[in-house]
Amino acid sequence: MTAAAADVALKKGQVGDPFSSAWRRRLPLLPALLYMVAITQLPFLVSIYYSLTNLKDRTQTLIPEPTKFVGIDNYRELYSDPFFRQAIWTSVKMTVLAVLLSLVIGTLFAILLDRKFLGQGLIRTLLITPFLLMPVVAALIWKQQMFSSLFGVLNKVLGFLGFNSVQFISDHPLGSIVTVLVWQWTPFMMLIVLAGLQSQPSDIIEAANVDGATSFGIFRQLTLPHLRRYLELGALLGSIYIVQAFDAIDVMTGGGPGSTNVPYYVYQQSIGGGFRYGAASAYAIVVVIFAIVIATFALRVLSSLFKDEERA
Amino acid sequence: MQKQRVGSVRSHRILAIGLIVAGAVVVATFVAAASGQSTKNTKKTISVAIVANPQMQDIASLTPSLFTAKTGIKVKYTILDEGKLRQVTTRDVGAGGKAFDAVMIGPYEAPQFGVAKLIKNLTPMAKADKAYNYNDLIPAVRNALSANGKMYASPFYGESSFLMYRKDILAKNNVTMPLHPTWQQVATIARKINTSSMAGICLRGKPGWGDLGASFTTVLNTWGGTWWSAKSNGKPDKAQVDQPAFKSALDFYAGLVQDAGEKDAANSSFNECLAQYQAGKVAMWYDATVAAGLLEAADSPVKGKNGYAFAPVNKTKASGWLWTWALAIPRSAPDTASAWKYIAWATSAQYIKAAGTHTKGGWAAIPPGTRLSTYRLPQYKAAAKAFAATTLSAMKAAPITNPGTTKRPGLPGVQYVGIPQFQDVGNRCTQFFSAVIAGSMKDTTALSQCQQIASQAIR
Repeated sequence: MTAAAADVALKKGQVGDPFSSAWRRRLPLLPALLYMVAITQLPFLVSIYYSLTNLKDRTQTLIPEPTKFVGIDNYRELYSDPFFRQAIWTSVKMTVLAVLLSLVIGTLFAILLDRKFLGQGLIRTLLITPFLLMPVVAALIWKQQMFSSLFGVLNKVLGFLGFNSVQFISDHPLGSIVTVLVWQWTPFMMLIVLAGLQSQPSDIIEAANVDGATSFGIFRQLTLPHLRRYLELGALLGSIYIVQAFDAIDVMTGGGPGSTNVPYYVYQQSIGGGFRYGAASAYAIVVVIFAIVIATFALRVLSSLFKDEERA
Repeated sequence: MQKQRVGSVRSHRILAIGLIVAGAVVVATFVAAASGQSTKNTKKTISVAIVANPQMQDIASLTPSLFTAKTGIKVKYTILDEGKLRQVTTRDVGAGGKAFDAVMIGPYEAPQFGVAKLIKNLTPMAKADKAYNYNDLIPAVRNALSANGKMYASPFYGESSFLMYRKDILAKNNVTMPLHPTWQQVATIARKINTSSMAGICLRGKPGWGDLGASFTTVLNTWGGTWWSAKSNGKPDKAQVDQPAFKSALDFYAGLVQDAGEKDAANSSFNECLAQYQAGKVAMWYDATVAAGLLEAADSPVKGKNGYAFAPVNKTKASGWLWTWALAIPRSAPDTASAWKYIAWATSAQYIKAAGTHTKGGWAAIPPGTRLSTYRLPQYKAAAKAFAATTLSAMKAAPITNPGTTKRPGLPGVQYVGIPQFQDVGNRCTQFFSAVIAGSMKDTTALSQCQQIASQAIR
């Protein structure tokens, strides 16, 4: 009886049982999957555990003291920490400003690039260059060659025009960092919007022209609605990356009022000098939760974009 | 049917074999990596992390010809600025990492790391090594790197802080600098000689406890202020950043830099001030005594034009700091024997002599302030006439155990507080102070934020 049942089960397994055959096909992928889980999810679980302890670096206590389980103390402290709130506020300002500005400038460039002119390929390549540069290099170039009040180009120009020199990074840390971020991310936005513009069917625009619409009217009534999804995509992908901005801050200001965003604050609390791994883990986990929320929106926009494409 | 089953069994077997092979490959890779490491060790390469100051750049360029050629030990340098070096070494030493065989640290770290058993006690090796000559080390420096009679790092150069000024500029303005000035006198002179093309004084303004934090804390000490009050057992009691003395010290410092300080002060520290002073953009400079050797170096544009005065004071008798960049061996260092050979050479009297003849800066720019014998070298005495005596007595006068007007928590220190939390508090607070110097933040805001940081840290 049992043997017969087992035989049936076995037969079922062989003759195209969807579960079994699917698993057999996936089996070779299993080591990779386990590897991914081991290197991404286990550390995350360990971080969650750390966030519930008062783990510190060994250099932070003269006499080594055992790590204690402190429950949600780290999260409670985080809630009442004014510097964490400042860092969130800085992150929000930095991300919104950088994303919006690079989106607007990127769209303008994309519209200019969408028409044929002499040397279009060259200009397009030049416009993309900032995005190809390593962020640390971009930040260093801006810090030393543009913003510096001793050898900076901007201050040379200001001096030539008869203005006093401005200490850009010290006086306007947030503005300086946003400038560099915008410079780096404008090409990215430009490419996305350009793809949107080039997917716009030309017959509609011809029809509008025949109907006597002005070019601004065409842009506002036809192009912009068509671009909406692309702009949304650019804004969301841009936000995901710019929220994590670290390189420019570390190179240009090394943190401080107006430029310490959340990732930089977590760094300061952990390996950047604070060495309070327990508290820093709690901060990092809160950041991950925020990031997941934003990423979910991004994925939804992406999938709706592809659905539209299929329909079209 | 039957065949199919056999087939599936066979495929399972193949899969199992595949997994075993894959596992074996992984193991083999690790074994190979491990054996690769051991062959590397027999070739003797050591990794050393040092700070990016001129004397260290010199030793890095001289190491192949003066050390590797004789011992066969290759030295791989990691050269970082002060702040980054501290993060890297603290992280590596604390985690028991094997990245470095020797790291450059100072009297803030050495006793703390030593007491926590994170770095090796160098005393037995130093005393056994005749050529090293343990008793030649300047006692104040040796003590600053020791705890409970054990020396945890070997000094590469030692320094106090003092005031350097252009004698020609002061003479042109008909002012003289006393040998023991007060800060009020210095401020008056700085404001008087300040012009649009040449600032009156260069003071550190770059965030970082070892940058702005060091200069500012010596001012804070002599103003009668302090970061924390101390309990009777030496533990920090309460943050004192909100006290009036702290505010008046910060206001004085920031005000002086704003009125008569260097350009771009919020980004300037030792190296930036050095460049500005040598380029004739500032007339005075309060900083480490080791700078004097660079100002009087053979290739310096301001050679012979400088006067030197002791660190300015307000309420205390002496305010100069005591610092030394010293080499230590992390507890987890892979090759202690080679590391000690390197340290014994780099911090020896012989290297100091070699630096005098092999570097562009010449005798004046050799690593000073570590050995009594340095100050008996005839060539050094001649080249460093202007500042050698002042440096040595400034180092002796540095009030390391009693830097201010009240008891300090933790281990001894002048320009820092000898507790682990100071690194983070100093770094974050000086970001606010730097913003005050730049004029983008009010002093009261910076102080109340810093008070919160300082209180939070010792909870």
